[in-house]
Amino acid sequence: MRLTVDGKQIEIDADPDMPLLWALRDLAGILGPKFGCGIAACGACTVLIDGSPVRSCVLPIGGVEGEIVTIEGLARDGTLSVVQQAWLDEQVAQCGYCQAGQIMSATALLDEIENPTDEDIDNAMSGNLCRCGTYPRIRAAIKRAAATKLARA
Amino acid sequence: MRRAILLTVTAMLLGGVAGAQEAAAPSTEAPAVDPAAGLAAWQDVYAVFSHPRCANCHVEDDHPRWSGAHYGETRIHAFNVMRGADGSGFGNPGLRCTTCHFDSNSNVLHGPPGAPGWHLAPVEMVWFGKSSPEICAQIKDPGRNGGRTISEVAEHVRDDALVGWGWAPGPGREPAPRSAEETFAALERWNAAGAPCPAE
Repeated sequence: MRLTVDGKQIEIDADPDMPLLWALRDLAGILGPKFGCGIAACGACTVLIDGSPVRSCVLPIGGVEGEIVTIEGLARDGTLSVVQQAWLDEQVAQCGYCQAGQIMSATALLDEIENPTDEDIDNAMSGNLCRCGTYPRIRAAIKRAAATKLARA
Repeated sequence: MRRAILLTVTAMLLGGVAGAQEAAAPSTEAPAVDPAAGLAAWQDVYAVFSHPRCANCHVEDDHPRWSGAHYGETRIHAFNVMRGADGSGFGNPGLRCTTCHFDSNSNVLHGPPGAPGWHLAPVEMVWFGKSSPEICAQIKDPGRNGGRTISEVAEHVRDDALVGWGWAPGPGREPAPRSAEETFAALERWNAAGAPCPAE
């Protein structure tokens, strides 16, 4: 089957029940999305499909419709996305394992709410776990990214 | 208004039956509806609607519930999953129900269940923690049942894919009692018997 991932068409020859994360990592070599729990309980595998966040570890590829964007597809022409840059500026990551998923959820949030409150952030990000406990920096980075986007608007 | 129509129809039915019986056998009268049969049919419906597979997403507040053998007591859905600030029942920006719940059940134990259009029921359709008479009154109230007749409620129960998930909830979850078709039939029996509600 054919998938559109990070702006490229890729052919995947696999069982339709294979989780998208397996196809991305093991077949397409896109290693940005991470395997954490395998049951949609941690968010490390989050990717966007047509702009909406999904947990790719439990989504069968046979059910995928739309354009997939992973953490590897956010940068444009070598320039990090606003959210990625804010992550760096706020030095969010500690171990960094969860940040690909965190950034994808934050990207989806800011696409819908341009200036999110603390509550909006909590509502959007509570399904993305960070065992290092970087939540205050995650919140700061989202607010920084929001401010940057608003300043550019 | 609907209650008035029902009463009028019932009176007409009773009148017609009584009239026919007067001609054939004036000494006996059989009611057109059987409240006992209606209440028994409602009990079958209530057993389904109050079951966790159904009631856990018919909640009054903003939080779906989890329950089952491996959860212990019923608890609020993890991850701060909520109805959604817009009241849609589909969650919040950045964390929609469909972030994790897809068109079919995950085949992994403890993976998320799935059905098309996964979302919370509208807040006025609350079943979780409600008594049988309360749910009964809600189902009969078009203002709180999506503007449906009872027959339309029955068809919704029989035909809707998300409702149908309650009988096929995936590995590790107890399904709702009986089946969609049997619950449809129970609703039709209840309706035919005048849709009686149990006393508080």
